[in-house]
Amino acid sequence: MSRRDRYYPRLIAWLRIALPIAALGLLSTLFLLSRDIDPTQSIPFSQGEIEERVREQRVTAPNFAGSTERGDFISLTASSAKLDPEDGDRFLAENLSAKIDLSGGASVEFNANQGEVNTSLQQARLIGGAVVTSSTGYRITTEELTTSLNVLNVTSTGPIQGTGPLGSFSAGRMQLESDSTSGHARLLFTNRVKLIYDPQNPGGKP
Amino acid sequence: QGASVAFGGIRQDTSKPVELSADALSVDQDNNTAVFTGNVVIGQGEMRLGAQQVRVVYNQDQSRIRRLEATGGVTLVSGPDAAEAERADYDIDSGVVVMSGNVLLTQGSNALTSDEMTVNLNTGAAQMQGRVKTILQQQE
Repeated sequence: MSRRDRYYPRLIAWLRIALPIAALGLLSTLFLLSRDIDPTQSIPFSQGEIEERVREQRVTAPNFAGSTERGDFISLTASSAKLDPEDGDRFLAENLSAKIDLSGGASVEFNANQGEVNTSLQQARLIGGAVVTSSTGYRITTEELTTSLNVLNVTSTGPIQGTGPLGSFSAGRMQLESDSTSGHARLLFTNRVKLIYDPQNPGGKP
Repeated sequence: QGASVAFGGIRQDTSKPVELSADALSVDQDNNTAVFTGNVVIGQGEMRLGAQQVRVVYNQDQSRIRRLEATGGVTLVSGPDAAEAERADYDIDSGVVVMSGNVLLTQGSNALTSDEMTVNLNTGAAQMQGRVKTILQQQE
């Protein structure tokens, strides 16, 4: 056997021992040297903020849900809400958004910068840059919206602009309600409706 | 029998934007049908189509309006000519308005009545069908 042949089996023998030990070593570092998490560390709330939160009874990411007899499911969420000091039933909310899953299958979402939820009146107001988007392809902007929480009734307090499969349109007032004759939910625009449909650009997207 | 007449005088470009104005628009959220009600006026270029109610009919994938169904005292005015009927269907893409039900077409001093009238706004040609009668006013 040449010199090289003799070394070869001895090398394999050594490797057979050295490699498993190296593997063992590597594995153990996984547990021994890992960072220990100190559970006693304080959670990231400053003392001042805790007092303010208690004083104002501020709630972060509150949500509210309700449904109508017709079977529409109304849910409200906000980034934060706090109780109105003067009126115990009224919450003032930031970034209030509402979603209505209509019993007919479509869904409509409303978002606004601020809002108020009045549990005794079962009503919510979305104030400031309100945007309505419906699964039927409508996008409507207005200043303020009022929605009831136990009946399907959302109304805009002022004029609206919007785009939809029909094109771009404007109206003096918008209401989401259930149509008494057909029983279906409908978006009703009133007070001088004006719509522009462009055959070349039907979606009315600018 | 039918009579063909010129309608509207000038060529009408029906690819221009269509403007609809009405007292109210109701969009059914379950089947996404849209109905304009109350003093509805459809305007496109020179053409004005007035009615009490206009129902919007979409194409298959709801990306375009296929037809506007106007009912209730429909009046179609284009240039010097005017036509009245009980109902009018305006197919925007083809530019054809089919008026039906006591159609009365007034052109200058004479008037024609018929059961139905098909107006192609692009070419300005109109075809009247069904009991076409011409009423000639005597020049005083």
